[in-house]
Amino acid sequence: MIRTEELLLNVGPQHPSTHGVFRIVVKLDGEVITEATPVMGYLHRGTEKLAENLNFTQIIPYTDRMDYVSAMTNNYVLVHAVEKMMELEIPERAEFLRLIVMEMQRIASHLVWWGTYLLDIGAMSPFLFAFSDRERILELFNELCGARLTYNYMRVGGVKWDAPEGWIEKVKRFVKDMKLRLDEYHNLVSGNEIFLSRIKGVGKYDAETAIRYGLSGANLRSTGVKWDLRKTEPYSLYNRFDFDIVVGRNGDCYDRYLCRMGEIEQSIRILEQALEQFPAEGETMGKVPRVIRPPGGEIYVRIESPRGEIGCHLVSKGKAEPYRLKFRRPSFVNLQILPKLLVGESMTNLVTILGGIDIVLGEVDC
Amino acid sequence: MKGMMKGLGVTLKSLGAKKVTHAYPDVPIQMPDRFRGIQYVSEEKCIVCNQCARICPTECITLTGKPNPDPEKKGKVLDTFDINFEICILCDLCTEVCPTEAIVMTNNFELAAYSRDELFKDLKWLGDNTENIRQDNNNIGAPQRGGAK
Amino acid sequence: MQRFWDQPLTWGHGAIFIAGAIGVLAFVLLFVTYAIYFERKVIGWMQFRKGPNRTGPLGLLQSVADVAKLLLKEDTIPKKADKGLFVLAPVLAFVPSFVVLAFIPYSQNLQFADLNIGFLYYIALSGITTIAIVIGGWASNNKYALLGGMRSAAQMISYEVPLVISVVGCVMWANSLNLRDIVASQGSYFWHWNFLPQIVGFAVFVVAAISELNRTPFDLPEAESELVAGYHVEYSGFRFAFFMLSEYVYVYAIACLTTLLFLGGWNPPIPQLDFIPGIIWFFLKFAVIVFCLFWIRATFPRLRVDQLMGLAWKVLLPLAILNIFITAAYIELWGMGG
Repeated sequence: MIRTEELLLNVGPQHPSTHGVFRIVVKLDGEVITEATPVMGYLHRGTEKLAENLNFTQIIPYTDRMDYVSAMTNNYVLVHAVEKMMELEIPERAEFLRLIVMEMQRIASHLVWWGTYLLDIGAMSPFLFAFSDRERILELFNELCGARLTYNYMRVGGVKWDAPEGWIEKVKRFVKDMKLRLDEYHNLVSGNEIFLSRIKGVGKYDAETAIRYGLSGANLRSTGVKWDLRKTEPYSLYNRFDFDIVVGRNGDCYDRYLCRMGEIEQSIRILEQALEQFPAEGETMGKVPRVIRPPGGEIYVRIESPRGEIGCHLVSKGKAEPYRLKFRRPSFVNLQILPKLLVGESMTNLVTILGGIDIVLGEVDC
Repeated sequence: MKGMMKGLGVTLKSLGAKKVTHAYPDVPIQMPDRFRGIQYVSEEKCIVCNQCARICPTECITLTGKPNPDPEKKGKVLDTFDINFEICILCDLCTEVCPTEAIVMTNNFELAAYSRDELFKDLKWLGDNTENIRQDNNNIGAPQRGGAK
Repeated sequence: MQRFWDQPLTWGHGAIFIAGAIGVLAFVLLFVTYAIYFERKVIGWMQFRKGPNRTGPLGLLQSVADVAKLLLKEDTIPKKADKGLFVLAPVLAFVPSFVVLAFIPYSQNLQFADLNIGFLYYIALSGITTIAIVIGGWASNNKYALLGGMRSAAQMISYEVPLVISVVGCVMWANSLNLRDIVASQGSYFWHWNFLPQIVGFAVFVVAAISELNRTPFDLPEAESELVAGYHVEYSGFRFAFFMLSEYVYVYAIACLTTLLFLGGWNPPIPQLDFIPGIIWFFLKFAVIVFCLFWIRATFPRLRVDQLMGLAWKVLLPLAILNIFITAAYIELWGMGG
């Protein structure tokens, strides 16, 4: 007797395409997925609980390690929450430096996504292309704050270091080169018919579903919703610059791809303007009390990280440590739609869809 | 077909392009001055104020002081100073708060060891770590001298 | 070599055959070693890297070191694997890949066996490797390996059909399956070679051949990002080395076949360059093809399974059949080529 049964396959936690220690238990009928259950928590470090026993300066290095591909925006969301609660004034030069590093970080983060996504789809070179350019951003960060990944750069009230001599010129040069490189990236894969046939129409959802699942970032914008916190709720100095929200139309992996590539372009635009307007001199640290004690109360701030809306909910009882600190991590929220998207897709599309969501496991598990 | 040809063109062009890899470890990598590497601790400068141990987010620094052997002078001098590099995250906060710049970052980053015990560095080791010490130590967060409560 | 085949088999002849086989094996191993080396170098250069450069001068001994490492590695067989089949699969994969080399002519006179059914022999034997891959995937008792093995079976069977049919045009042109006759039938100038008159057949052949080799963009059986390593996920040490070896020997065989069938074999591109020996021309063309394989690997992403099958049955097969009809019509109207 021939008996057919479903194949239960554990994808991960050690698997080249789950981008870290993430596990999906899939039931396969042939190569078609009938059920997918994401299992996570392998990288849980309890950042939020640890933060309750640390003062605000000490929490900043912990935020670096949440979304380790985009540490600058994590730094910012924490200091932004504290600053808003304490109603601190930030010197313009410090704010400019923050904005510049955040936009550079957005480029770096999207480059990592681009490279690894293409690697998931089977192309090897884009990964190296992307990393060689990301390397230049990391070198610049290294010069600025002494680390290549966990920057610990921002402080409540300002930034740790002023830009070293010649740094702004180097960034200008990088931005100029990056524009040319972006064209090369598009030549390398964006028109490749194999690549297009792999991602067009895959992992499709509409705007309503996206909002219902609480998606944000490129995952939301790919459905055509114009929602970018840099524009809709401007923070930092974003209302001073001229840039567009890149939106897609169909909400498939291809549109998500185009959104992210477009965002690199927009980040370059913002950087060009910001570098032009960068104040020649000024303080990089505002007037901050020696011990940071936000007044009692609650605050929720949100900013646009490369992966979507990263939020920080801070409850303070007037102590130097937060009473409760909660991060809304975009990767975690965006991941919710995965089981729905995977049903009925093949094994190959699993990788395409998961990569398209763009998760960082440090952030999912926090 | 056109897109594939374009892609092939890009890879062919990069065949002769300049390579970006480093010859590390044959050629050591020069890190910028601000690089956060293994700390150097100066026994003479330390005033045993415990700021570094308190600010450390991972509590990897332990230090003890003893009364100054010179009866003329007040205060304490350093007796032991240990950093546990198993948990140190090189976040730079200890050097930021140090009022006397007794603890400074260096550009050395090679910490790999065969045993965890070797990662426990004491005052002697940290005091001998004198190469590539950071020149410009911008301790913005440091309280003014004697301001620590 | 040819004259020994026509005489009765004696001990002396047998020794000569064995010596010849060992010679070919040594040559092929040398090729595989340096094909892997150059693959890594070329792909490295295309990605702003230097490729292997630590082992030996210019990294020339890298593959040697890799092979030595694989051979010295502990031989592991999963506890619940089907031991007999698990051991058999790598052997079954390698043997046909080596045996198909017997009929390849490198120049006018340098050939191991002059088979009159040349190309058919290749197809018949290379099909056995598919079985080996399925066996390997099955015997590993691993779900990823099983999926890889199944994909491989579907892929290789599908692509063998257009591969064979695309060559029929050349065969009709030369009126023979013998590779030497096919080479001889191709004209003396390079625009007379089969790749231009038989452009449709050539295109189908190249695509199907890359797919037969399980190389990017058709490397689905071992698709690293989905199936981790596909059918050989449980293999390590020298068993893995055999799978790897057979893969590269097929690269060798396919590059030889492309040269012979479509690129005029050992003939120079224009007869005036006749003073350069044929074997050099042969290996130049061969090297270009192998380079193109590396180049494609460095550039393209991977196809999806359903697209892969669609391409084989809906695009390549009709094109290949169309090519036969066009060739037949041409021969009927304007007579034979060559």
